Amino acid sequence: MSTIAGIREKPSVVSTGVLVIGAVYCLFPVLWVLAASTKNGAELFSTLTLAPSSHLWDNIVQLTQYRSGLFWRWMLNTALYAGVGAIFSTWVSALSGYVLAKFDFPGKSGVFKVLLMGVLVPGVILAIPQYLLLAQVGLTNTYWSVLLPQIISPYGIYLARIYAAGAVPTDVIEAARTEGAREMYIFNRIAMPMMLPGLVTIFLFQFVAVWNNFMLPYIMLGNDHLFPITVGLNGLLNQGASAPALYTLVITGALLSIIPLVILFLVLQRYWRVDLAAGAVKA
Amino acid sequence: MAVPVATTSPAARNGARSSRPKNFRSRVLTPYVMLAPGIVLFLLFMAAPIVYTLVLSFQKRQVVGLGLGSGSQKQVFAGLENYIGAFSDPEFAASVLRVLLYGLILIPTMLGLALLFALLLDSRRTRAGAFSRTAIFLPYAVPAVISSLLWGFLYLPGVSPFYYLFDKLGWQVPSLLSPSLVIFAISNIALWGGVGFNMIVLYTALKVVPTEIYEAAKLDGCSEVQTAWRIKIPIIAPALVMTALFSMIATLQVFAEPTTLRPLTNSLSTSWSPLMLVYRDAFTRNDIYSAAATSIVIAAAMFIVSFLFLRVVQKRAFGQED
Amino acid sequence: MRTSLRVGAVAMLAAAALLTAGCTASSGGDGSGKKVELTYWAWAPNLDKVVDIWNKKNPDIHVTVNKQDGGDPAITKLLTAIKAGSGAPDVIQAEYQKIPTLVAANALADLSKTSANDTKSHFASGVWNSVTLGGNALYAIPQDTGPMVFYYRAGVFDKLGLSIPKTWDEYAADARAIHKADPTTYLGTFSSNDAGWFTGLAQQAGASWWGVSGNAWSVNIDKKPTQKVAGYWGGLVQEGIIDNTPMYTPEWNTALNTGKQVGWLSAVWGPGVLSGNAADTAGKWKVAPMPQWDSSKPATGNWGGSSTGVTTQSKHVDAAVKFATWLNTDPAAVKALVVETGIYPADSSAANAALTKAPSFFSNQPDFYKVAADAAKTVSSFTYGPNVNVAFSAYNDEFAKAAQSKQRSAFLTAVTNVQQITVADLKKTGFTVK
Repeated sequence: MSTIAGIREKPSVVSTGVLVIGAVYCLFPVLWVLAASTKNGAELFSTLTLAPSSHLWDNIVQLTQYRSGLFWRWMLNTALYAGVGAIFSTWVSALSGYVLAKFDFPGKSGVFKVLLMGVLVPGVILAIPQYLLLAQVGLTNTYWSVLLPQIISPYGIYLARIYAAGAVPTDVIEAARTEGAREMYIFNRIAMPMMLPGLVTIFLFQFVAVWNNFMLPYIMLGNDHLFPITVGLNGLLNQGASAPALYTLVITGALLSIIPLVILFLVLQRYWRVDLAAGAVKA
Repeated sequence: MAVPVATTSPAARNGARSSRPKNFRSRVLTPYVMLAPGIVLFLLFMAAPIVYTLVLSFQKRQVVGLGLGSGSQKQVFAGLENYIGAFSDPEFAASVLRVLLYGLILIPTMLGLALLFALLLDSRRTRAGAFSRTAIFLPYAVPAVISSLLWGFLYLPGVSPFYYLFDKLGWQVPSLLSPSLVIFAISNIALWGGVGFNMIVLYTALKVVPTEIYEAAKLDGCSEVQTAWRIKIPIIAPALVMTALFSMIATLQVFAEPTTLRPLTNSLSTSWSPLMLVYRDAFTRNDIYSAAATSIVIAAAMFIVSFLFLRVVQKRAFGQED
Repeated sequence: MRTSLRVGAVAMLAAAALLTAGCTASSGGDGSGKKVELTYWAWAPNLDKVVDIWNKKNPDIHVTVNKQDGGDPAITKLLTAIKAGSGAPDVIQAEYQKIPTLVAANALADLSKTSANDTKSHFASGVWNSVTLGGNALYAIPQDTGPMVFYYRAGVFDKLGLSIPKTWDEYAADARAIHKADPTTYLGTFSSNDAGWFTGLAQQAGASWWGVSGNAWSVNIDKKPTQKVAGYWGGLVQEGIIDNTPMYTPEWNTALNTGKQVGWLSAVWGPGVLSGNAADTAGKWKVAPMPQWDSSKPATGNWGGSSTGVTTQSKHVDAAVKFATWLNTDPAAVKALVVETGIYPADSSAANAALTKAPSFFSNQPDFYKVAADAAKTVSSFTYGPNVNVAFSAYNDEFAKAAQSKQRSAFLTAVTNVQQITVADLKKTGFTVK
């Protein structure tokens, strides 16, 4: 009847083995990047093994010197797009999800269905018309051009709705209403704190999505001081025929760009409430 | 894990009942006002671009004379020309078939592995769970452009440590970037990047299942494998379905991986996947009108596919969402 | 609660910071009074160091370089900005083959009535033609060119007793000998990813893929010169003595480093690429004129090279023209371009003055720039049409298939297909095609 949580069963070599093989497979390219970023240009293209060399620091210095520290500017830009973008996005998703879950009004299911259809539209297709529309108001090639389109996240609203339905008891809302509280007050002071763990999940999803996004900033930005890392590193590879592709810089940059996300994951692991995505929230 | 518990209200559980404030203002106006940020942003950045794309898809570029200098190019109404062009384009048809094959290869493999890993993580007999879980999830943090470059290095026989090893062992392994195998090369990159995320989704769904069920099964003599097959998987069926759907959508939109790999090999064309074809038309060929029409066709097709998919699995999967 | 408020405050502050940052990132001065701000989209490496010289000497015209990823992305973004009506820079680095496309999209301002017209005497007639499109208008000031030459590993040739190939038959013979001596080594590779390279080779054989006749364009890809070149390379690939993988890949870099690729048909800007990708092989390469089809009539092709244009969205055309003229004809500017960006200037007299010493990668060959200057004199003419991108992208797809098949016949089919696709695209847009 009670769970046997404390008693450890005999470990299975097969299960553990399969999992570890999967883990090694997933880690292998990361290890390769680590080893490759310790090699200098000549070594990168003449030694093929995973044996590391000693030039990691030199590569990082070279990367920093490229156009006076542009890479670190790209890192900051990415953190800004992802961080601020995800904050705005989470707030909008939370508010919309809450209203869709907790209110009854004409047109509600229609609104929800239309919003969900947004999930089906590929970002690549949207990027061009978004550019043309933003150009009408002269906002292209600015930070806004990358932030604004990524605030609306139909998937985030979908998740927020599930979470609001499960986490915020209607009775509490009713009670607050009878006491004369305004709706936004109820949302800000009562509902949001209850939804917080789920909101962290939504924030992390959107953070990673924006961090990894290539197409939108690629189309919107012409000034390379505004680039995020994805666009910046891609540019280092595609310098045209008359300039060498800067492979060592790209590889070192790739390694450095993985690190912040890894740290973010490890630190926020306990908040990673992906059960929403499963649609299986249980009381 | 369960959600936060309800307050000490004597009334029934939360969730099922929505509130019903009294007058029109509160009932209709307030929700819409609160939905305004979401709706406005959606209209501005999703609806308007789609409408604009639709409008563009019925236009085309018309030149006068040599087409040089101002006034020599106009945008004119083209009727259904772009759509007819899209449907009769053999390259577009080829890319659609190719991407369907790609999906057929990738999705069962990725979901199968994600499910396997999730079940293994859930088993009490597995060790090194935390390490494996984190390691398998890690690729999710790498952008597709970067991961394609890294795998490109690992695939190209001239620079790959794998082929270095094969060479030393005297094995003749065909290049994964050859035309017949390149689809597996791309699937592998997507698999590497996506299996961890799906694994965590399914794993968390598993964690919500009350362990009493397993005790009952064990008393009935079910082995671990039978428990997994007969109990765990059916219970997390909703999660499996949603994961499959979102994976399908992402798979049909494959763009970054083949685009990054293309300059490295002869095996990929600029229209290998439908979205690559759209990109090529819009940016390389400067024909935003054809690109718009093709985009609308793709979006409509995905909508229909998703709709049908959900219809078919509706009975098996869902209880909660309306 | 406090969370929501804190989140809101952070977002507000960030937004305020962004708004101001966003404002400064956009281009354009106010038109009146003192300081004019120009934006310049370019991708030549280290160009901002050259522009710094201008900014110091000209405090009233300040130029900011926005470094682009390369020729194609820069032009794509420019075209999108032109279509959108805003967002284009004042000055743009435009490759010669892109100029017709840009003019067709009304992206380049006509400079024929400005002082830019006076720079004509600085440039060879072929180059000047590329920026006037043979008419009375002037769309850009030439910056650099890429006359094609042949780089080879001198040591390998010496060891095998091979002479420098003067004709294409000799090139084939040398390739055969090199590959026979070591089956993992090649004299070169056929790259399906570098259309500019192939058009340069076709140009040498007398091809000109587009032509103008009255009010109509003609497309001349599927004609004898290009067929001859395609068939030649198809034969080499089929025989297996030339590799069939693209250039500029990690594999190709490794081959350059490890001596598996011992020759490279490229342009005069080649040293920059070689030193970037295969630094350890410095001093081991030499340059020679390209092998010829007809030794009595030496010719070569052109790969790359760009010009400086002023966009139609610029509000400071005169200032931009001043800057562009200085950049491409002033001796100090040209010298700086050579030193910082490694280009081969189109301004012949300034180039000769600046290019006295061989590049350090070719320290073993002091007459490097003499070979280059000789090559520059023999560049054949070539006309680019309004849909170069379509032809180049068709080249990528068709020749990838051909190279992969390793059949000479496939190379010829590829030429026909490229012609078909290019013509179809022109007709679809309403051009008259002869």
